[in-house]
Amino acid sequence: MLHSVGLKTLHEQRRSLLAWSIALVLLVGMYAGFYPSFKGSHAYNDIVNRMPKALRDLFTAGTGLDLNSGAGYVYVEMLSFMAPMLVLIYAVNAGATAIAGEEERHTLDLLLATPISRARVTIEKYAAMCVGVLGLVLAMGVALVAFGSAADMQLAAGHIATAMLHLALLGMVFGGLALLAGAWTGRVGAARATAALVAVAAYLVNGFAPSVSWLKPVQTLSPFYQYIGHDPIRHGLSLTSAGIAVATAAVLMKAAVVVLTRRDIQG
Amino acid sequence: MDAVLDIAPIATARSGSAVPPVRIDRVTKDYGRRRALDEVSLTVERGEIFGYLGPNGAGKTTTLRILLGFLRPTFGRAEVLGLDSWSRSRVAHRRIGYVAGDVALYDRMTGDELVRYLGHLRGGIDADYVRALADRLHVELDRPIRALSKGNRQKVAIIQALMGRPELLVLDEPTSGLDPIVQQQVHELLREHASDGGTVLLSSHVLSEVQRTADRVGMLRAGRLIAVERLDDLRQKSLHHVRVRFASPVSGDEFRIEGVRDVEVTGNTLRCASPRPALNELLRAIARHDVVDLSCEEASLEDMFLAYYGGNGGGDAA
Repeated sequence: MLHSVGLKTLHEQRRSLLAWSIALVLLVGMYAGFYPSFKGSHAYNDIVNRMPKALRDLFTAGTGLDLNSGAGYVYVEMLSFMAPMLVLIYAVNAGATAIAGEEERHTLDLLLATPISRARVTIEKYAAMCVGVLGLVLAMGVALVAFGSAADMQLAAGHIATAMLHLALLGMVFGGLALLAGAWTGRVGAARATAALVAVAAYLVNGFAPSVSWLKPVQTLSPFYQYIGHDPIRHGLSLTSAGIAVATAAVLMKAAVVVLTRRDIQG
Repeated sequence: MDAVLDIAPIATARSGSAVPPVRIDRVTKDYGRRRALDEVSLTVERGEIFGYLGPNGAGKTTTLRILLGFLRPTFGRAEVLGLDSWSRSRVAHRRIGYVAGDVALYDRMTGDELVRYLGHLRGGIDADYVRALADRLHVELDRPIRALSKGNRQKVAIIQALMGRPELLVLDEPTSGLDPIVQQQVHELLREHASDGGTVLLSSHVLSEVQRTADRVGMLRAGRLIAVERLDDLRQKSLHHVRVRFASPVSGDEFRIEGVRDVEVTGNTLRCASPRPALNELLRAIARHDVVDLSCEEASLEDMFLAYYGGNGGGDAA
């Protein structure tokens, strides 16, 4: 595992990735366990319907979901908030520490004194973060399929897979933003804060856009809209959304390469 | 027991050209308004050990980081092994070993893992050579780095710098904090490296640390390279602190002999500093009087450097 910067980075994260995966699987298991008691009871729909419209939109993105269906339940309980939050915490942390973490601990010197270019270091670190994110959504997707069928949620495996893919892309975008901010500033804290702030703003823009008219024009710019605006658990893959997310992640990676290649690395 | 080591830099045969391993041409580095380096020019020849001296904050680390391609000069040009240090750093790094001033290693790895990782990034590793270096420096590579003492971490850093048999070693205060025996072992390795055609550029804030190893030394002060001297020449200029008590008061004028510095007469006591060539003349002058007491001590090279190149003030802030 010590053959490249990327593999070594993943190797270092193996325990944390395992812990995150277990947490995600347990979370899915827990929600799936609650599902049978929700199904058939209209209490939950009633609660949501009594919410102010703005709040309801935040959870359902104005899609008029049937919360008693498996897909609606998964959307509201997991995909709208909990799952992206957990994936983003991992991705932002991995991105923020990728370059800036090594710089703060002064180990970046050791790395950059080898015949590996700064561009290569950036790309491998980025790739490691993406692989980590994919590992997490894979664990979560498998858990959704397994627990979903056990709880009779009637979820299409293909749609779960695409929802997880969209979730992974969301993680890669914000992980990439954190990596860029870290490559720029060399500070983990600044990188984490930047990505977290933008993520919260993007989440709120997407959530409130259906009820706040002046947010509507910018809603489609939110990576959360690319992630969940088309309701992937019911409608599957959106090539446009996925394409935009991939392009965003690629631009962020390129920017991180340029920024790191051009600046001074202080001791 | 010390293993017999062949520490010949592997690449010397490949590039036996006359390109100096280090060529710095009027390099200036500004951090905002602060000038960290001011038109420093320096050439280090193949096979040479160059001691780069100066107080903390004088710009030693900045110079070395420019050579490694971590920093970009504001003006001027730096070349290592004939390659531009900024734009060609990746290629140059194949042939450079580096120890940073503020040594930080991956704490959670063992020494072995660190060496293997960096070895892979360098495109291969000679495990026997690493083993031999570790034996010679008496450091255990199978322990986690965080469990090692500061001195042992420093040794691991030196091993990783040497293990690729680089043509050029750039070492930022490599032996500060090491005990004298280990310092000596490290300097021995450096001498072997140089006698096999390798080149060493090492910094220190004390001359005494490099005076037995270096062929030449450069003195950096507040971003300016104020002197470059061969150590042999420097020793020729070696000053002796002379202190004489006479039976009766003397006048200072008769001791103002060419080469003698800092003549100071108070009543019947004389103090001065004399280079070796002026000692004979000075003693003749002293012998013309009745001497009660006399002491003559060789000044450290440190004092001497300061005497010749303006010792007032210890450079700018650290």
